[in-house]
Parts: sequence; structure tokens; C-alpha cells
Amino acid sequence: MTLLSVRNLRVTFPSDTGPIQAVRGVSFDLGRERLGIVGESGSGKTMTGRAVLRLIRPPGRIEAEAMTFDGQDLLAASPAQMRALRGRRIAMVMQDPKYSLNPVMSVGDQLTEGLRRRDRLGRAEARRRAIAALEAVQIRDPDRVMDAYPHELSGGMGQRVMIAMMLIPEPDLLIADEPTSALDVTVQAEVLSILDGLVRDRGMGLIFISHDLRLVARFCDRVLVMYRGRVVEELAAGDLLAARHPYTRGLLNCLPRIGGSRAPLPVLDRSGDWADEAAP
Amino acid sequence: MSLIEIDNLSVTFRAKGRVVPAVREVSLKVEARESYGLVGESGSGKSTILRAICGLAPVSGGSIRIGGEPLPDPRGRAFSRRVQMVFQDPYSSLHPRHTLDRTLSEPLAIHGLGGADARVVQALADVGLPAKFRFRYPHQLSGGQRQRVAIARALMLEPEILLLDEPTSALDASIQAEVLNLLARLRAERGLTFLMVSHDLAVIDHMCDRVLVMQHGRAVEELAHADLAAARMTTAYARSLFDASADRMLDAAAAGARP
Amino acid sequence: MTALRAWLTDPNPASRRQARLGQLWLAWLRLRRNPLAMAGLVIVAALVAVAVLAPVLAPHDPLAQDLTRRLLPPGAPGHLLGTDEFGRDILSRILHGARITLYIVALVAVTAPVLGLLVGTVAGYFGGLVDQALMRVTDIFLAFPRLILALALVAVLGPGIFNAVLAIALTAWPPYARVARAETLTVRSADYIAAVRLQGAGSARIIWGHVVPMCLPSVIIRVTLDMAGVILIAAGLGFLGLGVQPPLPEWGLMIASGRKYLFEQWWVATMPGLAIFVVSLGFNLLGDGLRDVLDPRSAGR
Repeated sequence: MTLLSVRNLRVTFPSDTGPIQAVRGVSFDLGRERLGIVGESGSGKTMTGRAVLRLIRPPGRIEAEAMTFDGQDLLAASPAQMRALRGRRIAMVMQDPKYSLNPVMSVGDQLTEGLRRRDRLGRAEARRRAIAALEAVQIRDPDRVMDAYPHELSGGMGQRVMIAMMLIPEPDLLIADEPTSALDVTVQAEVLSILDGLVRDRGMGLIFISHDLRLVARFCDRVLVMYRGRVVEELAAGDLLAARHPYTRGLLNCLPRIGGSRAPLPVLDRSGDWADEAAP
Repeated sequence: MSLIEIDNLSVTFRAKGRVVPAVREVSLKVEARESYGLVGESGSGKSTILRAICGLAPVSGGSIRIGGEPLPDPRGRAFSRRVQMVFQDPYSSLHPRHTLDRTLSEPLAIHGLGGADARVVQALADVGLPAKFRFRYPHQLSGGQRQRVAIARALMLEPEILLLDEPTSALDASIQAEVLNLLARLRAERGLTFLMVSHDLAVIDHMCDRVLVMQHGRAVEELAHADLAAARMTTAYARSLFDASADRMLDAAAAGARP
Repeated sequence: MTALRAWLTDPNPASRRQARLGQLWLAWLRLRRNPLAMAGLVIVAALVAVAVLAPVLAPHDPLAQDLTRRLLPPGAPGHLLGTDEFGRDILSRILHGARITLYIVALVAVTAPVLGLLVGTVAGYFGGLVDQALMRVTDIFLAFPRLILALALVAVLGPGIFNAVLAIALTAWPPYARVARAETLTVRSADYIAAVRLQGAGSARIIWGHVVPMCLPSVIIRVTLDMAGVILIAAGLGFLGLGVQPPLPEWGLMIASGRKYLFEQWWVATMPGLAIFVVSLGFNLLGDGLRDVLDPRSAGR
């Protein structure tokens, strides 16, 4: 079943030297599965994720032939309808929890705010649900974390709180934009496995945006590889090592490996036909 | 005698009445022309060691010797001709209102060295940047190009020791490869000694002969390159770092995909 | 013209001068897009032009008295803006007064910010005791209302245009020191400062070559915005008889002499007042526009 369908998505920003197309004709379908979007900085992967939620600030413009979520036309939706979708049915986790959590509100207040206001739950019930959410992201002492302020949490802990917050309304689709890039590798693995378990158990759709091909390969079912605003290759994550596109291969090969050769790393060659095609 | 000798180094930051020990009694020795890696997670004190060597962090105990000599405080000009550093973020390590020409000729002016024109052009060529970039400002360059400029600046005084603080962590993977290749080539050509900090074990493995694993400001384990590659670590923490390394994940994925 | 533009926008300048002029050109393009700032620039440019061309533009000698033609209203033949109590042409006096205003503004603009920058960057860069000492001195100056302090200084130094400028400059620098210090504190710990220190640069080189260029935009913005205040204080000193001395055509002095006739012959005080208003407005508009162009947080985008 298709949850999200995007056809020929374009995101354009005006500039002094004419319009800049950050996303140029991206199409994909997403079911209740884990889709990875990989690319270098400036490839348009973040803009694609934000465009789905219509979170592109003017003067940026979003255009598409079609963009539907669960039968609802996202392009035609009113701002009020979009607000109802955001958070409740489509949630987003950003890179750095420091900038996504309100620094002057305790974690507990932030977690229960939506429950109390949107779902009109009582204080005790909201707190119970919030604690359950914190337990779901494997926070061992949820009571202490509930009373803490964001600056008292470590990066990994903050990101778990963010994930818990996003998951409380039980969204159908989670868009995670580099959710672990600001974290240490050992913490990264933990957060990823928590995310993985949640997505699996609840049957959510997931768009996982990352610059890290290796991470995405391990973690997703399907991968879109983006370059300069276009999807250059789409493949099953398991087939990533067998990728045919020179850009994908280049990205894979240029990473150093533990125990690998110490000869110069192969450098991504941007002179092929594919790069010219992608050039604006 | 080793080129860099650090004995029981402790660095303690004091701010607003709080005492934060960043480095606790770390010792290490780096031989001339060796490439030595410091690896650990954020808050492990790895970058602080580099800053302490440069006199940018308060040393509260232990000693640092370069070529057998204790370092003067402040470090002085002789020190800057022996030791230079490349910073993590190429977006904040270049002066935004100076052209590359000014950035690169500044060290020559400080030390009263002549022939700035020729040297700047040569330095750009050495790091693989076209000469026409000479009068550009940093915001007219990409991240990878900026890091090349930062490397060129560090080499202007022809130091023997280069301190590298996560030189590629702010860059895309494809750009990281280019910068790592550049560093490896420069080291081979000039016989440089590297002391390199990274959170990425694969990068350290690719670049370094020996590695010190750090955690919470303490040295956990020192590994030779061959031991790291063969996963012969003895401490649990080094092992967990190894297992969590992203490039291990790809192998796991590959193993999962092709049972 | 197109060749010049191509030279300015060349992404690969061939010299430092070309690179710097190219940056100035881009800043100019940004400024040009802001109509209010351009209005401010036109007013300030007009002030400069009027000051330079005053003898040519002025229909009469600003000091020539003609008691038979005193207190003529605006529009009187030969006196577009009327005459004052000594029969002097107000238009000519305002035009010549622009010279004095510009002289004061220019002198203050080259002294106070330099002093403020120096104190602020040194305090911010060294921190500790130096910072404490310099900033407490700054606080002492800030504790007095500016006009009162300027009055006290003029009272000690004696009235006169140069002493007025000196008094204004001495009261105007503390805000610049504050701005420069705040900017220095954010710049001080930047990696590029660490890098140049690591290259063996001394404090003077770091402050002058690396810290000051980062503080300069905020200070320039602040100076432009303050110019209106400087004109007002100069006028205030003139009004109180402590600045420029009669019969020189200073705008504040002209208002003071027109005060006696404010109800019957309103133009004597109003015309120089309008001049002060327009020029102050011009500096303020320009300052706002420069903020958009020079603010380090908007540069490089």
C-alpha cells in the first residue's frame, strides 16, 4: 500500500543569478517501509524531506505533478490541514536535538504539551503516556528525564527524547533528517536500533535522510541516491554494494575501511556523462 | 628520543567555579615522521591534547616536550615554525574578510620571510588549488577547497609537525577522500609528523601508524596499525568503538544481504 | 562600463585591490536594492555637495547684515527662506552652516570610533584585569548624560568649534568601545584567531589585522546611526552658546537666535531646524541600510 507518493517534485529558490533548483524532478513512492535518501551536501536530500511537509520557507517554492499522503493531496492542502498533518500523522526528527527542543521548558512539559492540548488528556494520563514513550526509546530513568531541562541531557539522550516526542502521536510516517549525525558512533548505533525497532513494531513508514551510505545500507529497505537535486539511482539496500551508477560506486569506494589498503583513496570522478546530465 | 613526548598530561578547565578535567594523566610518544592517531568520542579530550600542545588549553599537570625540549610559555615563534595545526571546521578557521593571499602570506610576514608572491602561488599549487583562486575570499570556496587552504596555511612555515584536529569531519565523504589523499601525499613528500584526532576509526586506520583510544579524558588503549586492522584490541571500550564503526556496518549489511 | 563591471565581478581577481573593490561593488549592489538607504545616501551626499559648493550656491553673504531687510518671511524677493533678525539671508546661512555641520560630523567620525575601537578590542582581546580597568572607565563616561558631559568639558576647555568637537568625541566613544568589545568577545575564540596566534603573531597584529576588521562593520553602522545624535549635540551646544560662536552660521546657534521670534517670525528657528531634521534622518536611513549590507551575519550569503 502506498503511503506517500511524490511525482516530479521541484524546489526552487530565487537568487541574484536566477532561480536555483534545489530539487529537480524527484519521484518516489513509499509504503510502510524504510526508505533511505543519500547524497552529499547540496544534493537536495534535506529539501526533499522538508518539501513533503511543505516546510520550505518563502521565497522558496515547491512544485510537483502530484504529492499525496494517504490519499490526501499535500499540494492542495490548506495551511490548517498541513498543521493537522504535521506532528500527528507525519513527524520529523532533525539533526541536532539542541536546536529542536525548547531550552526553557522541562522535557516533561514539552512531551505532554501536545497530549494535553491536542488530545485533551488529563495531567496524570499525559504524564503516563510520556513516560511510556521515554521507556520505548530505552531511557532507563524516565522520571528524572521528565523533570530535566534540555541542556541537562547528553546529545544521545536529547535525540532519544526528540524521537519519543515525535512518536507520541503515533504518526504514520517519520521523516528523520540525519538523526544521528551529531552523535558519537556508539550512541549512534543505539539510537538507530531504537528507531529501527519502533518503525518495525508500529508499521510506520520512514524516510531516513543521511550523507552516510554505509549507515543507510544497514538500516533501510530501499535507497534513493541523490546528486544535484536529482535521483541518480534507486536500489534495494541489500544491493548497494552491487550499485551500478558511477556516482553511487564512487561514494562507496571513497570511504576508508579499517584494515583496507593504505593506497590513495579512489576519488569520486565527476567528469562522467552522468554528471553532465545532472548539471543544471 | 621521540619527537613529541607527552608525560602525564592533565588539562583542567575552570569556569564559573566549576572544575572540568578534560584530560587526565595521558602519556604518549610520537616518533619523527610517524603518524599518530587519537581516537575517541566527543568529550574524550582528544582535541584538548592538541590545543594543549599549542598553548591554547590550560595545562594543569604533566609535561609536553618537542624534540626533548620543554615548550616555552607563551609558545613563541620558534615553536610555530616547528608545529602547525589544521582545524576541524574550515568554515571558521579562515578569516572571512581576508583573501586567500592575505591568509597565506600572513605567516611569512610574521616571520619576516621574503618571496611571499612566489611562495603563495607555490602553496596553492601544492594543495591542488588553481593559482587564479589567490585573491578569492573564503566564502567563494567550497568546504573542501577551504580545508585545502587551511592545510596550505599550516605548511607555509614548513613545520615538521602537523596537528590535525578532525580535518575531514565537516566534509562530504568524496571530499574527505581527496583531503586525506592530499595529507598522505604531503606527509610522504615532506617527511611530516602527524598527530591526528578523529572520531572515525576508519579514517585513523587509513592515516595512522599507531592509535591511542581515549575515553572521558583518559587513555584507554594504544594500538599499532596492524593490531587495529586485525581487531586485536584488549579493552572492552576499544572493542565497542571498533564494532560501532560505520564501515563495520556495511560489512554487516553485506553479510546480511548475502548469507 | 561593462568592462569595468566584468572586472569588478570577476570571480578570480588578479590583485588584492581588485578583490576588495569587487567586494565593495557587491556591497553597493546590496545597498542599491534598499530604497530607504538610497534616500539616506542621497541626503548625505547632498550635504557634502552643499558644503563644498556653499559659496557658489548661496545667493548672499551669510554674514552680511542688512537691518532694513530684517525678519522678512520666506518667499520674500531675493530671500527664498526669509531673513533673520539682522537681515541675513537664512538660505545662505543654512548652506554655509552645512560646512560647519559636516566639519563637526567628520571630525567626530574619525576620532571617537577609533578611540572606541581601540579600547573595546584591547579590553575584549586581553580580558581579565585590562578588560575590567578599561570597561570601568567606559562605564564612568557612560554614567553621565552625553550633553551634560559635553557641557562640562566645554566649560573647562572654553567655547569654540574645535573644543565642541573634542567634547563630543570624548563623550561619544564609550558606546563604540562597548560594541567593539562585544564583537571581540565572539571573535576572540574563533579558530582563525587561534590559527594566526599559532603562527606566532603578536597581540598588536592580531588585534589590528584580524579582530578590528570583524568589529568594523558594527562600529560603522553605529557611527552612522549616531551621527544624527552628534549633529543634535553640536546644535545643542551651539544653542546654549557653548559651541560655535556667533556670527558663524551654525544651525543650533541659528535656532537659539530665532527662539525670541518663535511666535511671530517662526521661520527663523524653523528653517535651520528642518535642516537638522533632514540631515539627521539621512544619516539614520543610511545607517539602517548599511546594517543590512555590512552586518557580518548577512555577509557571505
